[in-house]
Order: sequence, then structure tokens, then C-alpha cells
Amino acid sequence: MSAIMDPATATTRTFVEATEVWVPKDGRLVWSSGNYGALDAFAAVSEEKSFGKGEGLPGKAWDEARPVVLKAFDGSYFQRAEAARAAGLTSAVAVPVFAGSELKAVVVVLCADDDQRTGAIEVWCEANGLLMLDDGYYGAARHFEWVSQHTHFPPGQGLPGGVWAANAPMLMRDLGSGYRFIRADSAGKAGLTTGLGLPIAVPGRQTYVLTLLSARGTPIARRFELWNARSSRSGAASEAALADGICQREGPLWNDEHERRVAAWQGPIGEVLGTGLPLVKYDTALLTAGYASMVALPIYRDGTLAHVVAWYY
Amino acid sequence: MSAWHEIGLVTDIPRRGARCVATPFGRIAVFRTAEDHVFATEDRCPHKGGPLSQGIVHDSSVTCPLHNAVISLESGEMRGPDEGRVRVFKTRVDPLTRVIELSLAAEAAGIVEAAE
Amino acid sequence: MQRLVVIGAGMASGRVLETLFETDPDAFAVTLFNAEPRGNYNRIMLSPVLSGEKSFEEIVTHSDDWYGEHKVTCRFGEKVVAIDRARKVVVGEKGEVPYDRLIVATGSVPFIVPVEGRDLDGVITYRDLDDTNRMIEASGRPGSRAVVIGGGLLGLEAAAGLRLRGMEVTVLHLSGHLMDRQLDEAAGYLLRKDLEKRGIAVMTRASTERILGDTRVEAVELADGTRLEADLVVMAVGIRPSVEIARAAGLAVNRAIVVDAQMRTSDPDIYAVGECVEFNGTLFGLVAPLYEQAKVLANCLVGKPGSFSVRELSTKLKVTGCDLFSAGDFSVGEGREEIVLRDPSQGVYRRLVIENDRLVGAVMYGDTGDANWFFDLIRDGAPVAAMRETLIFGQSYQGAAPLDPMAAVAALPDDAEICGCNGVCKSKITGAITSKGLTSLDAVRVHTKASSSCGTCTGLVEQLMALTLGNAFNPQAVKPMCGCTDLGHADVRRLIVAKQLKSIPEVMQELEWKTSCGCAKCRPALNYYLIADWPGEYVDDDQSRFINERVHANIQKDGTYSVVPRMWGGITSAKELRAIADVADKFQIPTVKCTGGQRIDLLGVKKEDLPAVWADLNAAGMVSGAAYGKALRTVKTCVGTDWCRFGTQDSTGLGVRIEKFMWGSWTPAKVKMAVSGCPRNCAEATCKDVGVICTDAGYEIHFAGAAGLDIKGTEVLTQVKTEDEALEMIVALVQLYREQGHYLERIYKWLKRVGMESVRAAVVDDAEKRRFYFERFVKSQETAQRDPWADRASGGVASHEFRPMAEITFKEAAE
Repeated sequence: MSAIMDPATATTRTFVEATEVWVPKDGRLVWSSGNYGALDAFAAVSEEKSFGKGEGLPGKAWDEARPVVLKAFDGSYFQRAEAARAAGLTSAVAVPVFAGSELKAVVVVLCADDDQRTGAIEVWCEANGLLMLDDGYYGAARHFEWVSQHTHFPPGQGLPGGVWAANAPMLMRDLGSGYRFIRADSAGKAGLTTGLGLPIAVPGRQTYVLTLLSARGTPIARRFELWNARSSRSGAASEAALADGICQREGPLWNDEHERRVAAWQGPIGEVLGTGLPLVKYDTALLTAGYASMVALPIYRDGTLAHVVAWYY
Repeated sequence: MSAWHEIGLVTDIPRRGARCVATPFGRIAVFRTAEDHVFATEDRCPHKGGPLSQGIVHDSSVTCPLHNAVISLESGEMRGPDEGRVRVFKTRVDPLTRVIELSLAAEAAGIVEAAE
Repeated sequence: MQRLVVIGAGMASGRVLETLFETDPDAFAVTLFNAEPRGNYNRIMLSPVLSGEKSFEEIVTHSDDWYGEHKVTCRFGEKVVAIDRARKVVVGEKGEVPYDRLIVATGSVPFIVPVEGRDLDGVITYRDLDDTNRMIEASGRPGSRAVVIGGGLLGLEAAAGLRLRGMEVTVLHLSGHLMDRQLDEAAGYLLRKDLEKRGIAVMTRASTERILGDTRVEAVELADGTRLEADLVVMAVGIRPSVEIARAAGLAVNRAIVVDAQMRTSDPDIYAVGECVEFNGTLFGLVAPLYEQAKVLANCLVGKPGSFSVRELSTKLKVTGCDLFSAGDFSVGEGREEIVLRDPSQGVYRRLVIENDRLVGAVMYGDTGDANWFFDLIRDGAPVAAMRETLIFGQSYQGAAPLDPMAAVAALPDDAEICGCNGVCKSKITGAITSKGLTSLDAVRVHTKASSSCGTCTGLVEQLMALTLGNAFNPQAVKPMCGCTDLGHADVRRLIVAKQLKSIPEVMQELEWKTSCGCAKCRPALNYYLIADWPGEYVDDDQSRFINERVHANIQKDGTYSVVPRMWGGITSAKELRAIADVADKFQIPTVKCTGGQRIDLLGVKKEDLPAVWADLNAAGMVSGAAYGKALRTVKTCVGTDWCRFGTQDSTGLGVRIEKFMWGSWTPAKVKMAVSGCPRNCAEATCKDVGVICTDAGYEIHFAGAAGLDIKGTEVLTQVKTEDEALEMIVALVQLYREQGHYLERIYKWLKRVGMESVRAAVVDDAEKRRFYFERFVKSQETAQRDPWADRASGGVASHEFRPMAEITFKEAAE
């Protein structure tokens, strides 16, 4: 059962140490929600922060209207460098969430570098009709990083090219086995199993695709869900259907006969549908399948909420 | 009495087009609509005898090439203010092989009767 | 315990077993044969396995544990050889199994296109896991190319999956649009665009001639000679029921195994279920009715009542990001009405078909949010009159007031951009309307530039005018082309060029046609506009032409045809006349007549004789005179300086030259020309569409005459000195007409509309512009100057037009 992540590894550390959501308020980005695990000191610093346009990592993602990968904090524009060093955090990826030209939020994931954790958080960018790697954080997956830097995707090919052409999130299985993934060989060696690809909508014509590639040993998440909220022309997303999903504990989540549906304000996914904002939740009994934390991210298309993707750990 | 005659494939007729089938009772026009419905009528416009198989097929009607009479392929009746109708024949299409079968039942019955 | 044997572990029989074990787990001891070396899996989810979006483990419906738990004796990987009904045993390759009840669930086998090369290595069908794995393996070779034969559900899913795996993929489809059995042309067009965006090449009307290669496939050759390199060929054209075992056992088999409403075959102890059955003349390929059958069968086995009936079906394509849906019967007919919604900016197309106040069919592309709701309406046959106005917008619009477009425009802020092309905002337009007292759209265009480029915002500008002027605004009554659109011919022509629209479905989608595929008025017009605007690129749509242009002859009152070969400038020869005489004899052509355009008309030719008549005329060097077409008909001449004592120039020579230069290209309406060698005008050039009067000083170019319903003398365009100049002037003039004329608008009417000033400005006053039009005509001639008769006489083009598709003899008919 290669696609269902091996329960035996459930005690290993996650690839991502912390996830936080920043939302605009009175012209600045303020902290909205976050999960920092045991990093209480960093959490305390973060919750007090706010960023103007162009300030710090969240402000840069807002200002430049693109996902930003930052792999060294010291001496950079990263404002919480000292607290991050104390918490052992070394890298971060900031993803802006735009509805048309309106910034809804910035999601930041923070990672701690060591030579054990592998995985990938990548940002792909269109140039001359091809998707090229803008930047990515790979942890210890150095060879895979090198291969990725030297790979480009035409429309429709591979996870990034597929997400780009479909303009919809996709969840790929068995990244490393057989020929099933264009970078499969190296991905297999890096232990990558499940890949989540997301179109990142930004104002203007530029195309960005974000991929989260999860490895068996140090997974980004143990459960992925992909909800389709393109319910009708009414505009307001009031309902979503589970289009795809895979869970270490429950196996495949999709059902081609009976779609699982969720209405606005019903549970965490419903909350995203209702507010239109990303969400980080942890330590709550409400979470599905007994997971301790989750991240839910709205995906906008043409200014309206089209999908919600969620990952649980 | 086997009433069904295989006359060819749906794809033998262009979409929004028609072909003819020669029979002892005269020419029959077989039409294929944009949605692949197949109809058969006698190939004679009730107005002035124009060959309907040569007309432009639109929705489930054909416009006669001679004087633009519009005839319903389902009922054989002329549309609009005109009156008159052409004989229609039953067809059926095998959904897998796409073979069209044509029934001449009414015509053949008439012939047998006359011969008796 | 009774013994139940099941042949085939597919989705239908799997559902039978599930239902059976749920109702009465101990009723039967079950033996399950499967030719595939594995149990039941969700076959319709193989596409996501191919694309990598699912793993095979996820689509396994029944695991080994499940079979064990229900004590099913599994004989997987073993083929059934025969059913011995007399002894009530199933004969497997490895031994016999007796049964009390038997279920035949042999499913279907893929249809193999019977072409040369179909047995080569690398040519596969798409049916089971092994096929899927073969495709995945083939896609692993870098830069490998796949050709998928069949643009239906299965073929397109295979194409998308192979593309995602990194292959270069081409889809070949026999019909004119993709998924033609589930989608209409408009939705098929959007689907094609979507696939092309994914880097998949799509070829419609593509007929596979043969598959090339020594032992492995190397290429696919099409009927038109195109050769496509291929490392993998996937045949996905359809399935046929697998009925050999049932037939050999003597069960009633028609196109498939005949069953009653309880799924019983002609033998009361034997049932059949799934794709191998035929019920009431219907075969089944989609999964919903199979599950329904399975439920009925399982209940029947334990003595519970139930009967199967055929219900409405719906289709979706499992390609991520391709949102399409079709259900019911969406053909248009008497008593039926269609509602079409197109949103070109979002790539959305919705079409509903209503009959007797009931929704009977729906096709949707790009936004399938309300698919289930529409499907329920179709299946339940609920009346829709009360929501007729808002039905197409979907469920969430029901009960709400329809949107008022004027209110939406009124609500726009002053700085809202109305015209994107010229960057004109709302306040600039309303300001200009009030301050300058503008009352017409043209005036607004002149003063603000809004709506003067691509024209997409014309509707918005008009709404702003209505808003600002109130009742004083009287929208210019543009006569729409036909009932399918609100746009007039001029707007359609302008938008085809501005938006680079290159096919009929594209025009209809982008210009928001109100019908799904147009009518006999707009289709021929659009076909002409596209030919004129995209020479060499647009493929002529025969079915959008009137019969005369389709068969290149004139239909007569009795259904026969008249044939008119070209006689260049009215000159003929003994050889040509002899050939015409021979043809008249050979084909018993009843009437041979001279036309007003100085040529000979053969009247009363039978349609099936046309290709042979043309072949004989071609052999004598004659080509089609286009006497049937909206194109250059004749160039009538007098004998000029060759013979005439009054002749001033070589009028015959010029006439021949013009005709040879200009025949071929289509025009908005017919074009008749003449060249007279002196002002006595024996060739009657002054009532033609284009005429030349030769004088001692040169050539007087006339145009816009008429001698039909209307009688009108020509206008003089200009005078030129040389024959070359005369030719260039005439060609440029005709090209201008080709680009501006409305379909069926003769030159004199076109002139009346556009005015002499604009014509002279384009072709007389400005040599550069004249040259531009001349060259565009020459470009068009590159592809247009092909004798349609020669193409058809050889049987290569449109051969279906000229022979009956079948003949039924008296004997057959009476049988």
C-alpha cells in the first residue's frame, strides 16, 4: 500500500515545523492563526508582529505578489531572525492568497534544516511557455533539488505542468515508483511519495504553481484533502465537494459514487468556505481522523473561491 | 418478415447531411443531424418534388434545395404555413457498431397486399 | 447451500456479490472466475491511476481478505472454456465447477480498428490494469510519442494521463468534434481548446489508414497521407460485448446476451449482468445502469422482487480541471426549445433542451456546478415553466430576482474601465454624452474611442447611453444576421478579425451565439467569412454550404443538375465542343444550351453521373465554371482588336487574363464581369458587377452594375492606362469587396452601403493600399485555385455525395 503512508512512521518529525496565517488589517498584515508546535517563544514573538507592504517575508510576498522562498534568515529581510535562530528554524516559504487583485492573506511555512528531513516545497514560474523552478526548499534532498533546478515542464506535463494547464489543484501518488513522475528516479531516492500541486493566483498574468512533495520518513502531512468549491455561478462559495484525498489512517478519501460535501461554516473546511481565508488549527478535538493539526488553504480562480486544499498532521 | 435492412454506418453520412438509399419504391433520403439522430424520408419534397437529401439539415429539419420548404424529419410534415408531408421511414442505430438499420415495413406490406 | 458460479469479476458482478452478501450471506457458495489474474477493481478509475492521481491499491474494490471473508472460491487468471447447460457445469481451463445458478458477467472487449499494423508491438487497447501499466511504462521513455485513436471518454482520459506522464500526445478522432456522442459541437470545441492548452494535439476528421513499423510501432498513417511518429498507439474507439461463451452455450444472443427485467437469460438458471447484456434492445457501457442491474439480480437470487429499467444517463470526463457534463437527449427538434448561455471570458458554455415544459437534456462545459441539479430535473421530469427565465443560471438563482444589467452598469464607479482597448472609463463616456450631446453609438465612438476597436464593450457603452439619455436613446437598429445572434453582419465580420476567430464553433462561443450550432442563415455566412478572412488556414465546412456549392453543380427543378464548364473569356475550341458533345451523348444529357455568360450549359445531369461527367470534361482540359457559386462566374468579352474593326484594345485577351487570374476564390455573392473592346460595349460591361470599357486612352474600370431583380448601370471607378494596371485595380476592388461585403450582398449593394468615397480611398487613391489588397487576393488564390471537379472526379473528395449509401433490392424488401 504505497500511496497510503506507512503508519509505522507516525512518530517521525514533520518536514514543516510551523505554519502561520497573516491577514491584512488597516493596511498592515497582522497575525491571524498559526501552529508552532513546541516553539512557544517563536509563537509569542510572532503573534505580536505586524508587517507593512514590503516589510519582512509576509510583506514581501504581498508586495511582489508572488510566493517567496527564503533559505537563510541571517542578514536577510526576515524580521524574526533572532527568535527563529533560537527555535532552530532556518527556512521559510511565504504564499500570498489573492482573490483577483485583493490580498486575502499570506501563509508562511517555516522549516528547520537538518540532514535527515527530506521533502520539497517548490515554487514554479512560467517563462516562455514553460514552467521553470523559481525556488524551492528541499531539506536534505539535495540531489532532488539539483534535478529540479534543471527540469522544466511544458503545459500538461508532470505535476507542475498538470496543475498549470488544469488551473486546479492535483494530488499525485507514488511519486517515486516506476515512471510515474517526471523526476521519479531522483524522487524515489529521496523517498518522496505524495505530491500536492496548487495554482497560486496573483494579480496580472504571471502563472505560479506551488508543489508540496511529501516524503515517507518526514512527511509534510499524513492526510491531504482536495475540495472543489466551484459549485455554481452564484459566486459565493457556499458548498464544496471532496474531489480527492488520501489519509494514512483512513486510506483513500474519494468516492466516485457518493461525493462527500461540506457547507459553509460547517467544520474547518466550511470555515474556509465561509471566510475565504486560510486557516491553521491545532490541538482541537474537532479535527478529522484524530489529527493534531491542519492547514486549509483557499485557492482562488478569477477572483472567486474555486478550491480548498487541506493537509493534516 | 424481417423489416430491418442494414444500410451502412452513421459515419457514412456527414453530420448535418444526408445520403440516399435506392429501393424498389424509389429513393429514400437518410439524414444525420448534428446530434447524430438518423431519420429517413422519401427523397421528394411535397412542394415540388425537390430531392430533400440535397438540402441543408438544421436541428431536426431539412430545407429543400429547390424552394426552401422546411420539412420536419420526425413527422415528415412541412413546417410553417405550408401543408403537405413526406413519408417517413423508421430507422434505428446500433449504439456500439453504429450500423443504421432502415425499415420499409409499411412500403413492403403495401406491395404484398397488391400482389395478392 | 446452493452453488452460485460467476464468470467475470468486474464491477457489475462485484456489486451483485456485495448486495447478495449484505442481504443473505449464507444463501450461496460462490465460485468466481476471472480471466484477469486479480479480483474486482474500480475499472472506471483506471484513468487517474494512469495519470498518477490515484494508486492501483486505492481502486481495488474487493481485496483478497474480502473474498476470504465471504468464502468466495476465487479462480482468477483462469479462463472459462464452456458452459455445459445440460450437466449444469462451468468448464474452466483447470477443471469443472457445477452450478445451481450461474451469472455470466463477461463484460466487453475493446474494439480493434481493423487496420494494417494493428498487431504490432506498442499498439494497445485501453481496458484493464495491464493496459494501464503498459502505458505507464511506455511513457517512461524520455521524449516518447503517443497516438491515441478515438476522441471519446476513454481516449481523452488516456491522452491526458499520458501527457501528464510526460509524453507527446496526439488524439485522432474520426468525427468532426471530440466526444461527439456525448457533447454537441460547441462543447466539443471548448474541450478541444482545453486539451490543446495541456499540450495535447487534437486531429478531428482523422481516419487511420495504417500503422507502420517492422515489429514495433513506428508511425501512424492517416487517410490523407499524414504520417505521425509514434512509440505507442492506444486504440480507444469503443467496446463490444463479450458474448462468445454465452453464444456457444446456446443462450439467446442478439447484439449481446438477451436478458429480461430480472436479468435472466433464455435459460432460467442463468443470469447475465453488465456490459455483456442486452435489455429491450439497449446495450450498456456506463456504470450507473450496471449497478442498477446488479441490485436487481442480487435481489432476484434471494427471491426479492425487483425489475430493471433503462434510465437517463449522464457523462463526466475524469480529467482534472476539465469540467464537462452531458445528460439526456440534447438534440433539437419540433416542440423543443433550447436555452444557451455562453461566457467566453470564462470558457463557459451551457445548453439546456426543453420539451413540453420538461428539461430533457443538458450539456455543460467549464462550469458544471449545477450538473446534479439539472440531472435530477431531467430524470424526474419536473415542470420548469416557473423557473424558465433563470433556469440556465442554476439552482442558486431560483427564487431570486433575475439580474438587472442596467442596475449593474449604474452601480459601476465613475473610474470603471469600460473600453479596455482604448482605456476609456465610465465618466469619460457619460461626460462626452452629456457635454457634446451625443446620441448615437457612432458619435460616442468618434468622440471617446470607446467601443471603436474590438467592440467587446459595445453592449456596455449602449447601456451607458441608455442610462444617461433615458428615453432619448434610440439604439441603432442593427439588423441581426439571424435569430441566433443580436450582432449584424458588419459586427460579426469585424469581430472575426479583431478576435482572430478561426472556426464556426469558435465564432459562436466567443460571440455568444444564442443557439448551439446556428441555422441555415448564419452557417453559410460564417463559413464564407472565415474562408475569406483566414485563407489557407480555415477548413471549408461543406455542411454549411447550400447544395449547389457542395456538389459544384446547379440543382434543377427535377433534382437533376446542370453542369457549366469554364470557357475563358467566352472562347472555346473544336476540341472542347467535341468533348461537350461526347459527354452529352454518353450521359444522355437532354438539354444543351448557351448561357448569357458566353458558355455552354449541360442540363439534366443525374447526380450520380456528375463525377464521370466532370472526369470527361477535365480530360478535355475544362474546369468548373462555378456557375453555381458565390464566386467569379464569367468574364464576358467581345472580340476586340483581334477581329473587330472598331476595337481599341485586346478585350478578349484581357477578359481571358482576368478570368484565369481570378477564378477560384469565393466572394460574398456571385461576381459577373465583362470586358468591352470599345465604347459600343458589345460585351454589355456596364451592367456587370465589374466591367471594363476599353478606349484608345486605356481602360475604364466600371463596377456595381446589376441586371437581375434590380437593373442598374455601373459606376466608373477610375481609368487606367495599361492592362496590368487594370488587372491590379480590379483584383484589389474585388478583394476589398470580399473583406467587407455581407454574405449574399452583391457588389452594387455593398457600394451603396460603404459609399464610393471609401472604395476609391482604398483602391484608387492609395497605391500602397491597392497593392495590399491585391496581395491578399493572391494569397487567397494560393489555396482557392483548385478545380473542385478534378478533386471530385477522382473520387477522392466527398465521394459520399454522389452515390447511394445502400441499395435495397425488391427481394430484400419483400422478405
